[in-house]
Amino acid sequence: MVDKIKVNNLCCFYGGKEVISSLNINVVKNEILSIIGPSNSGKTSFLRTLNRMNDMNVNFSRKGNIFLDDENIFDMNPENLRKRVGMLFAMPIPLPMSIYDNISYAPKRLGIASNRNMDEVVEKSLRDSSLWDEVKDRLNSSAIKLSGGQQQRLCIARILAIEPEVILFDEPCSGLDPISTAKVEEAMLKLKEKYTIVLVTNNVKQASRVGTRTAFFLMGELVEIDNTAKLFVSPRDKRTGDYITGRFG
Amino acid sequence: MLRKFRDSVIEKIIFICGILSIVFVVLIFGFLFKEGISFFKEYGIFEFLLGKYWYPTSDPAAYGVLSLIVGSVLVTLGATIIAVPLGIMTALYISEIAPKGIRDVLKSLVELMAAIPSVVIGFVGMVTLVPLVKALFNVPTGLTAFSGSIMLAFMAMPTIVSISEDAIRSVPWQYKEGAYALGATKWQTIRRIVLKAAMPGIIAAVMLGIGRVIGETMAVMMITGNAAHIPSSIFEPVRTLTATIAAEMGETVKGGLHYKALFGIGLVLFSITFIINFIADLFLNKNKKR
Repeated sequence: MVDKIKVNNLCCFYGGKEVISSLNINVVKNEILSIIGPSNSGKTSFLRTLNRMNDMNVNFSRKGNIFLDDENIFDMNPENLRKRVGMLFAMPIPLPMSIYDNISYAPKRLGIASNRNMDEVVEKSLRDSSLWDEVKDRLNSSAIKLSGGQQQRLCIARILAIEPEVILFDEPCSGLDPISTAKVEEAMLKLKEKYTIVLVTNNVKQASRVGTRTAFFLMGELVEIDNTAKLFVSPRDKRTGDYITGRFG
Repeated sequence: MLRKFRDSVIEKIIFICGILSIVFVVLIFGFLFKEGISFFKEYGIFEFLLGKYWYPTSDPAAYGVLSLIVGSVLVTLGATIIAVPLGIMTALYISEIAPKGIRDVLKSLVELMAAIPSVVIGFVGMVTLVPLVKALFNVPTGLTAFSGSIMLAFMAMPTIVSISEDAIRSVPWQYKEGAYALGATKWQTIRRIVLKAAMPGIIAAVMLGIGRVIGETMAVMMITGNAAHIPSSIFEPVRTLTATIAAEMGETVKGGLHYKALFGIGLVLFSITFIINFIADLFLNKNKKR
């Protein structure tokens, strides 16, 4: 059990309003940590702090530290950090270009793959995200024309192409139908072998299906974190129990 | 009953207003065409388009428009080369880089620039830029195609800046966020994502800017020197199509050959702007289909 990410006393503010208060949490290597909680519980804010996407918001400020392999992420250059900690958004955002170019865009720019083995990188990323079989014959058609579920897996493939260490999923299935959702989850479970995953989800069942461990956030506080099986069967805190059984939230 | 009647009347009024603009364009074009064609019949279209000499008052008169076309194209090209990079970069700075305070000031200043009458721009250019060009490049006169290009670039800038700025700003922020999440820097995001997504709008902005430049009359008439000959460099005086019409229309005999020749010039000008619009349209549609 090696900690990939360690969070020490993190407090986050939007324009002076506290959205996360003294959070201490760790993410173990090669696990899927699911974060559940009602809206405004700070789970997305936390996720966006992990790869410093919040830096671009001028109202955002924070205290405390986050360590990625014992390196403070706030001392790192944000571009390098985001290369190591990729992020997937709720809305699939294919770039306005072909499927192939969507995936080759980042490696080309970051100099990971030369043009010669670009085909390999694209194929491998698409296979790992379980999309290859569906698009292998039309790599040059526009990515915008894919279905929602395919677009989301394309976005996963795009992140895989830069070979990150951690992948952050921000409600990746909120706009998808159950079958597409199942495919994305299948991809996630496959990815766990190589990557560390943090998943924020509004879908409690999804957390129980894919999470190695599950954390419950409420009003900017971490209420409980435990192995998924344990948290769902016998939660220690009453509020956790109420939330996962659907009594509120 | 009354309501229905009122509805149909209002509908008709709106229809007439809508159709009116088309009617005007068709009428203008028809008038231009009629006068122009009768000139071509009398003088010959090839002599007109390929003739180098524009001597409407000599005897026999020569109505070769080539030097005027070269003048217009030269001035427009110069203005485009100056205004397009400057305009796009200004738009990028305003929409992506500038802090909010500077952005608001810059944006309203650029829009104010569009409101300056062209006579004023021509006048300012005449007393400031023309002597400067003369001294700087050591040429016999500062009234050159180069000076005209600079002043016209000034006039095209506001159009290019404000329309491309709108296009850049309307790129969904999710595109940018997606690129940042892949570890792209700000400049990479701007160049590979923002510019690419905003390209149709930027091309439209450039075309509108060029359209403004090629149709501009007053400023070029004041600054470019109005010498109807084919220049060998941009540091020589030229005369544009528009300036010729403006300068000579008052002195012609209505219905005379010279009068008709000016309509011929109008027709040439019309064709050029039509082609520019057509190209812009092609680009826009191509981008939409993708």
